[in-house]
Amino acid sequence: MTDVRKLSDGIFEVTKGKKQLATKNLDLGKTVYGEKLIPVEGVEYRTWDPRRSKLGAMVLKKFNIPLKEDSKVLYLGAASGTTVSHVSDIVSEGAVYAVEFAPRSMRDFIGLASRRKNIFPLLADAGKPDSYAHIVEPVDLIFQDVAQPNQAEIAARNAARFLNEGGHLLLSIKARSIDTAANPKEVFTEEVKKLEQAFEPRFEILMARDLMPYHEDHLGVLAKLKE
Amino acid sequence: MKINTWFGVLEIGSKGEVLASDSFPKDIRELALRSLSLRDSRQNLPPEGFDLKAAAIECKFVDSLSEYYSLLHEVTLEAAKHQVSEALTPDQRIVQAVEALDDINETTNSLSERLFEWYGGYFPESGLNGEALALFIVKYGSRENVAPDDPLYLKARDSMGAKLEAADEVLLKGFAENVCSLYERRKQIEAYIESSMEILAPNLTITAGPMLGARLISIAGSLEKLAAFPSSTIQVIGASKALFKHLRERAPSPKHGIIYSHPLVNTSPWWVRGKVARALAAKLSLAARIDFYSGKIDPSLPEKLEEKIQKIRALNPRPPQKRPESGAKPKKKRRK
Ligand SMILES: C[S@@+](CC[C@H](N)C(=O)[O-])C[C@H]1O[C@@H](n2cnc3c(N)ncnc32)[C@H](O)[C@@H]1O
Repeated sequence: MTDVRKLSDGIFEVTKGKKQLATKNLDLGKTVYGEKLIPVEGVEYRTWDPRRSKLGAMVLKKFNIPLKEDSKVLYLGAASGTTVSHVSDIVSEGAVYAVEFAPRSMRDFIGLASRRKNIFPLLADAGKPDSYAHIVEPVDLIFQDVAQPNQAEIAARNAARFLNEGGHLLLSIKARSIDTAANPKEVFTEEVKKLEQAFEPRFEILMARDLMPYHEDHLGVLAKLKE
Repeated sequence: MKINTWFGVLEIGSKGEVLASDSFPKDIRELALRSLSLRDSRQNLPPEGFDLKAAAIECKFVDSLSEYYSLLHEVTLEAAKHQVSEALTPDQRIVQAVEALDDINETTNSLSERLFEWYGGYFPESGLNGEALALFIVKYGSRENVAPDDPLYLKARDSMGAKLEAADEVLLKGFAENVCSLYERRKQIEAYIESSMEILAPNLTITAGPMLGARLISIAGSLEKLAAFPSSTIQVIGASKALFKHLRERAPSPKHGIIYSHPLVNTSPWWVRGKVARALAAKLSLAARIDFYSGKIDPSLPEKLEEKIQKIRALNPRPPQKRPESGAKPKKKRRK
């Protein structure tokens, strides 16, 4: 027997032998990174590996994922699209603007993006949101996984331009991309402080939690614009 | 105020309402190229929080949201594809060639060793290895076929090696042919790198030599990145292990990375190699910058470098009293 439990909009726990995180596959019959397809009563679920995806790990670490079927998302650091594919599943009636600046990653990502109508690939530097201001509409969520030392600033700049009032920021912070030698805990405290006050707009942190055991030395952060 | 969007130029009012519009034709490729041209224009950006899709409908560029999204999907895809194909610049081709060369070298070495072991059972006295051995096997197969005018004729005749049966000979010859073609491929790639380097980075080529120059570009990632590196980084490119050890554990800083393979460094006496490497790195950095920014060749670069190195050698004719021990050396003070 396969059992399906909804965790939040578009995100499920499918139990077939073992419990697995999953989304409803928008691109029927296709997998992206070697995950499994599990059909249940006419719906195709696609398993979501939290070890391959920071967002997947955040779901399991009980973050509220502020996504609905028609949400608009700005995704910074798309890489080859492992996580973007699940976001695309979740916001089946929405839009994912996916920014990635490495041409090599974009090359892999394009195949995926071309099969999913709600993905809009942008080869651009997330640190320069002006360069895609003529394309991206206001969004409900900015998801950021760029592993860059100036990530707080990148988040603020994008939020200033694109984040809706009441919208959210989900951020994955990699300690080692900020400072290779320092203690991760201290790095995280610093970064959270930066989000709260270093740049305009400022953020209010709703939740911050490490992503162990799925990702070492990573902090997940959920925030919204400070009123 | 006037704003640029991917679908047209709009005149909008203070509340974001569209006052006038000049929308572009709905041609995917045109729209994609236009959108790319807008990337760097800092002017006429839509105001923060501006709803592009609502404006697109308002100005009748599209009739519905679904049309808006499906057009935008096609346009962003087309633009991204265009950018990806542009990213394969001449220096990226060289990077690919250098990486292919490394793979081929690795494969060739291991297959050559295998061939040496294998054929050694039949003719251990040949004294050949590498490409020469492979060519020999392709030519003769069994040592019984060695021609009387071949310098190895006597050794072959009197060899203690086993008799090579027909079935094994077929295998060995085929294997040797593969090895030969790998050596061929290697030369072909090297020639490609040399001629491409002369065009892409003439100054680096005359200063470093084409292969070392290509390797520097390859490790840096691109000519642009190499040109942006300080010369102290160029000096230790390729010594990343030693460099990280230095940063983490205060091990002695590496004096040279792959630029060690430059004849001016590896033929210098050990006590000036650090200085020579520094001088070489400075010239390489200069060469890379000229190549990236102007591309004009400066034929005097190698001479000037040579002069500088001669000066260093002349000033340091003898080794210092005690050879510094690698490991527990205290950090050297910079002498003026
Ligand atoms: C850790 S990976 C993202 C993995 C992806 N989020 C996933 O889960 O499938 C980080 C990516 O961010 C990209 N990146 C880093 N800095 C960036 C920037 N300033 N703008 C756009 N992309 C960037 C890198 O090229 C890399 O592909």
